[in-house]
Amino acid sequence: MAQSTEVAQLNAARNLVLGDAALYPQIVNGILPIVGANAKPELRRWGADFLAETFASPVLGTAQKEQLAPGVLQAIRDILLLPETDTAVLQSLVQCVASLYPLVFRHIINHPEDSNSWEIMNTIKHDILRRMDTFPCPVKICCAKFLQRVVQVQTPSHVADPRRPDQNETSLAIVPRNHPLLAIPHLEAESSGLLDRLLDVFQVEICDPLLVNATLNCLAPLIRTRQSISNKIINAILEFYPSKHVRPPFTPTVRVSVKSMERTARAVLVNMLKKNPSHPMLGKIQLYIERLMQSRLEAPDESSRKRALPNEPVDGLDHAKRPLSYSQLFTLTQDAALSSFDVKQLPPDLVVKITVPLLAQVNQSLLTQAIDAVRTRYQTVTKEQNQMRLQQQAAAGGEDDDDYEPEYQPMEGADNTSDVASVIAAEAPDVQPDLVSLGPFVLPQPPPMSEEEAGEVGRSAVARVFSMINIAETAPSASKGKSQQHPGFTRLAGSNFDRDAWVLLLTRLATRAPAGLEGGDKLGKGKQTPISDSIRETLYRYILEDFRGRLTIGITWLNEEWYNDRVQMKAAAAARDQGDDEEPSVATHYDTWVSRLLDGILPYLDGRDIKVLVRFLSEIPEVTIPITQRVASLAKDPERVNLCVQALMYLIMFRPPAREMCLNTLEDVYQTYEEARPAAGKVLAKWRPQAIRPADSAPAPQPEAQTSATAA
Amino acid sequence: MAYDPRRVNTGSTTPQTPPPPPPPPTDMNSGQAPSSSTDWKLKFCTVCASNNNRSMEAHLRLSSAPTGFPVISFGTGSLVRLPGPSITQPNVYSFNTTSYNQMYEELQSKDERLYRNNGILNMLDRNRNLKWGPERFQDWVPGVPRLDHLSKGDKGALGTEGGVVDVIITCEERCWDAVVDDLMNKGAALNRPVHVFNVDIKDNHEEALVGGKAILDLANRLNDAATAQRALHGNNGWENGAGAARKSFDEQVPEILAEWQELNPSLPALWTLAWL
Repeated sequence: MAQSTEVAQLNAARNLVLGDAALYPQIVNGILPIVGANAKPELRRWGADFLAETFASPVLGTAQKEQLAPGVLQAIRDILLLPETDTAVLQSLVQCVASLYPLVFRHIINHPEDSNSWEIMNTIKHDILRRMDTFPCPVKICCAKFLQRVVQVQTPSHVADPRRPDQNETSLAIVPRNHPLLAIPHLEAESSGLLDRLLDVFQVEICDPLLVNATLNCLAPLIRTRQSISNKIINAILEFYPSKHVRPPFTPTVRVSVKSMERTARAVLVNMLKKNPSHPMLGKIQLYIERLMQSRLEAPDESSRKRALPNEPVDGLDHAKRPLSYSQLFTLTQDAALSSFDVKQLPPDLVVKITVPLLAQVNQSLLTQAIDAVRTRYQTVTKEQNQMRLQQQAAAGGEDDDDYEPEYQPMEGADNTSDVASVIAAEAPDVQPDLVSLGPFVLPQPPPMSEEEAGEVGRSAVARVFSMINIAETAPSASKGKSQQHPGFTRLAGSNFDRDAWVLLLTRLATRAPAGLEGGDKLGKGKQTPISDSIRETLYRYILEDFRGRLTIGITWLNEEWYNDRVQMKAAAAARDQGDDEEPSVATHYDTWVSRLLDGILPYLDGRDIKVLVRFLSEIPEVTIPITQRVASLAKDPERVNLCVQALMYLIMFRPPAREMCLNTLEDVYQTYEEARPAAGKVLAKWRPQAIRPADSAPAPQPEAQTSATAA
Repeated sequence: MAYDPRRVNTGSTTPQTPPPPPPPPTDMNSGQAPSSSTDWKLKFCTVCASNNNRSMEAHLRLSSAPTGFPVISFGTGSLVRLPGPSITQPNVYSFNTTSYNQMYEELQSKDERLYRNNGILNMLDRNRNLKWGPERFQDWVPGVPRLDHLSKGDKGALGTEGGVVDVIITCEERCWDAVVDDLMNKGAALNRPVHVFNVDIKDNHEEALVGGKAILDLANRLNDAATAQRALHGNNGWENGAGAARKSFDEQVPEILAEWQELNPSLPALWTLAWL
């Protein structure tokens, strides 16, 4: 239907007052005749809307509204008494009257002579109250609000400042006791009755959710500002459980309504508690709120709860699909009492006290076994869960397209998923016992190694250590120079992992490690090269490869060998003293290996290698006759005669314990080799002049000196 | 107000969905005369935390719908919070005094690439074409005329000149709580009923789009019922008197919501009847 010109004009007028509130009186008085009782419904609607808007407007001052109110009352009464039946008009009129009532009340307080206005107001009030129960729902809602307004006005409020009535809220408290029109006891009694009527919505057997919500939402100002009735209101709410005031069947509509009332009731109480956190009924209110939330769960509407859990959690940690708890997963003990013990009962500090020392003593292999057992268990479970999930997806078919799909409507739809859940629940126990009975896993002992295998492994280990020497050799030995700066007893052998350290390790491995074990070799001798000999052999070859560069290694090694021989002999002597019948045999290695090494070196020495030879002879721990004889053999070679003589001369000069032995050897050389005579003769002339007899070729061996010549 | 952890998801995964251009409703003001009885529509208010994402998406939907609903929008947070470079560095603005354009320009100069990629600039661009800036619900005084919003060209302002609405739709439960609580604090001075709905929407661009569509659907259903009620007692049906056979709009609200909820199970809803 086309818009009428009147309405267009009225809208233009409305836009004017919206822009400038000062124009309200003019416009209100202007439109009243147009939208009055005899006007078309369309205009009455517009008029009622406009009047409701006018008296509710926060931009129009209370004083101006008060002035306008009496004139408007008459028009409203006329429309109401038509009788008006249009819901929209009634709705707006009742809203308007609710706004007017405090204005008129205040007006009457200040103008006791205006009995006419008060009479009209009362007529309107009684008409509304009388018809309230028969009004259509939207109007009834507004009537509830009107009731609340009347109660608010006709109940005394807290008076902030009695001397300035303008500042005080309109209420019974500012009515003079001797007011001709406003009888306080009468008004108070009426107000009390109206409050009961307002709160009656919480008592009816089958409640109207709209009216309940509308009432609940308008009670907050009464609770807050009207001390005398706030407890009554709160008690009325506390006895109201929405789920008990609805009738089955619980359709979605009913569920929406119940939830709505519960949430609104809670909101009113929470609002009140925020303003007054130490309210004497705090405990009772909290209990009620808890019960409300509980009853929501009990109510047959699991669906309408907030945001149901997604059907399929992304991380697969869903409880329904987790047949094992963490404790089940990690419990390894078979002891029922122990596994049922809840560690959470212990105070944390005690747990710490127990755990830390325990961790320090944990057996590494046991720990590894335990971890492996749990890992195996976990993998089994994961595999089974994956299979289950696949089955479930297959069962659910295309329904699982949407990841985020909470089950809102369970009445029909939920059967599907609950079936799946029960299937899982049924399967879970089958899975459990098998997993739980899985005890600690014990690694089987490896078969014992044969001696050959053990030797093989030992040799390969030695080979690896030798490879370490080679690697360390290439690195610049900066630390070597450093260690040489700090020699002496403070140096710890093998403390820095350079070549020397590895050599020391090897030599000691060869000499000391098997010490004492070799004695038992008597029984099964020669069966197998012992590991120590294979190390010696390797060391020997290693030194010979580059004897000039690796002489130090040789000396170190031979020192170790000699020392070890001494220790062994000492131990054997001690054993002999203790009366051991069997003569303990000591396998000595020094003599063997020093001879072998010298034999290996000598063929390759040339005349200029005097320093090498002298160093070797001077630094080995013991010079023996076999050694000097080998040195003497150098004199066979005319080119190395000087080498031989000089080496012996060095020993004679600087190694006194070996002096006699060396002089004998030199004398021997002097006698035997013609080419050695000039050089050897010079030395002998100084140290043993009697040995030189001109033209005398007969040597004079000194057997007693040879046998006793062992020097350390 | 607490930081909303769901905003984390709005980071890099935001689709580059530019807001659909709002249809030009400019002629409506001059061409058709201001609202008449046949033009009657429900007036809406959309609310979220920051009046930026969810409430503005719904604002856009409702104002640009064929029906062209009157709509205003608010946030219930203490401040406007937008995602920043990290969780602990949100961009914070004050309500009512910062325009969407200011925010747009500031974030564009800060790090255009970041805010383009996480969709914030697109969102602000949409918003600045809808209205001037974010408004705080708690600062709203119902009944104060909003003619200036109409003259500024805010979308959906037509019909909201009186500063009142019939339906408030929040996008998060705590916003619904805040709105219902605040309406109680405001004291219900207008004596005017208002239906307050919550449609729970996750705070990211994708969900806001889905939620905005669903809110428009709910709005259409509500408006159809309300319009039907007015027509029943309207100019033609007036003489027939009050038809008890037919339920009023208000009575139908729980049914409408229940029906809508069945169609939108992923958007849990809540409702009450409060007062302005």
